[in-house]
Amino acid sequence: MITERQEELAALHAFGLLEGAERTEFESQLATNAELRALVASLAETAALTALSAPQIDPPAALKERIMSAASATVPATDKVAPFPILKFAPWAIAAGLALAATWLGTQNFSLRTENASLRTERQLAETAYKMAKNQLSERSFLAEQMITDLGNKLRKSEDLARLKVTALASLAGNTKEAQVIAVWDPEQQTGLLTMEKLPPINDSQDYQIWVVDPAYKDPVNGGVFHVSADGKIAIPFKPDQPIALPAAFAISLEKKGGVAKAEGTIVLLGK
Amino acid sequence: MLLATASPLMFFEIATPRRDSSGPAASMSNSEPSTPTGDDQGREQARLVAAMARGEKSALSALYDSLSRPLYSLAYRVVNDSAEAQDIIQEVFLQLWQKAGTYDSSRGSVFGWAATLTRNRSIDRVRMRKRRAELLAESAPDLQPASPSGDLDSSASLWVQEKATAVRSALGQLAPEQQKAIELAFFSGLTQLEIAAKLNEPLGTIKARIRRGLLKLKETLPTRL
Repeated sequence: MITERQEELAALHAFGLLEGAERTEFESQLATNAELRALVASLAETAALTALSAPQIDPPAALKERIMSAASATVPATDKVAPFPILKFAPWAIAAGLALAATWLGTQNFSLRTENASLRTERQLAETAYKMAKNQLSERSFLAEQMITDLGNKLRKSEDLARLKVTALASLAGNTKEAQVIAVWDPEQQTGLLTMEKLPPINDSQDYQIWVVDPAYKDPVNGGVFHVSADGKIAIPFKPDQPIALPAAFAISLEKKGGVAKAEGTIVLLGK
Repeated sequence: MLLATASPLMFFEIATPRRDSSGPAASMSNSEPSTPTGDDQGREQARLVAAMARGEKSALSALYDSLSRPLYSLAYRVVNDSAEAQDIIQEVFLQLWQKAGTYDSSRGSVFGWAATLTRNRSIDRVRMRKRRAELLAESAPDLQPASPSGDLDSSASLWVQEKATAVRSALGQLAPEQQKAIELAFFSGLTQLEIAAKLNEPLGTIKARIRRGLLKLKETLPTRL
């Protein structure tokens, strides 16, 4: 069954007027439709006959001679296979085959070498890129680690500060009114730091003694003795003799040289 | 003349599908049963081509005698230049000579093959020579049957002339607009769109005219001229 559309395309095809999508569409139909192919062949013959409607003119007589002469210089493609002396030409054929094979192998060798060099270059480039990426990553990793460490330190400092107990000691004696004493206590480390200014100097037979008041103990716990210089400035770390669970207060007393086990002298400074 | 000289007309037997016996060709054939038929002529053309494939120059010479006139006329009709038409005919016959071994009679007649080669080469020449604008302006085919020229007394010219008369007659039976569309499609080298533009008609109309015209021509042309 041939449709009107197919007839139309067949007619246009017969005149060589099909182009682009129409031509593609029609040729794909032709490939699978024998009836359509027959119609196309028939219409092509009819279209060719249209040539005869042209005014008939004899070609110049010299044209035939020209054509025959030109034809003598060429050989038509023959439809028959001429006998071929295989044995006579076998060595040449083998030699030609070997030459072709050698050429092919040479070409392949060159091609593979080129390909190998290319791959090597690609590998080197990839390695360089990998190293660069790795370095960048290391740098970033180092920076990140530094940042983390810094943040950790800051956090630790914050935690430390939060953990520390800071107490200002007030003067209880008339001669220490101008004294400024700060006690900082680290419960985790069980250590403390006293910073003092304008603490009155004392004679060599006496010492200031540090006391930490903890409700867990009946008496204040000894924190050690110290002596101030003439300017009254001193920063002294101290560590109580007993573990301190709850530092309720810090005190400084004036004791005999070397201190005492239990506070006996005057409490000159006290802070809670 | 058509009935009196039957042998040259038989060339087209292979070129067109055989119709039923009601056509003029059948009556012509029946009136002269002893005359060589179009089938015979077609086979003769095919035989010449086969001989050419074997390198027989005499076959080429004989084929030239049979076909040179209509092919040259076709080339001249398209390119309108004698020197170019001669070049085209030389190229076509040399191609026939060299490619004779590839000819397959089941795919069409020798004339159809040669005419197609000639037309395509002629159109290629025209397209190379002229710009499209010039082509549009100049390619107005003469739809009137032209007066025959040349040596009408030779037998080769005679059979071609008779076939040409039959083709022109068949074309004359088409509607004028179909005739014009067919002529432009075959001789001008214009595309579908250019034909539509030249005739100032929609593209669909032009396609339909070419389809109807060619189908009618196929039915009208006698299978045995």
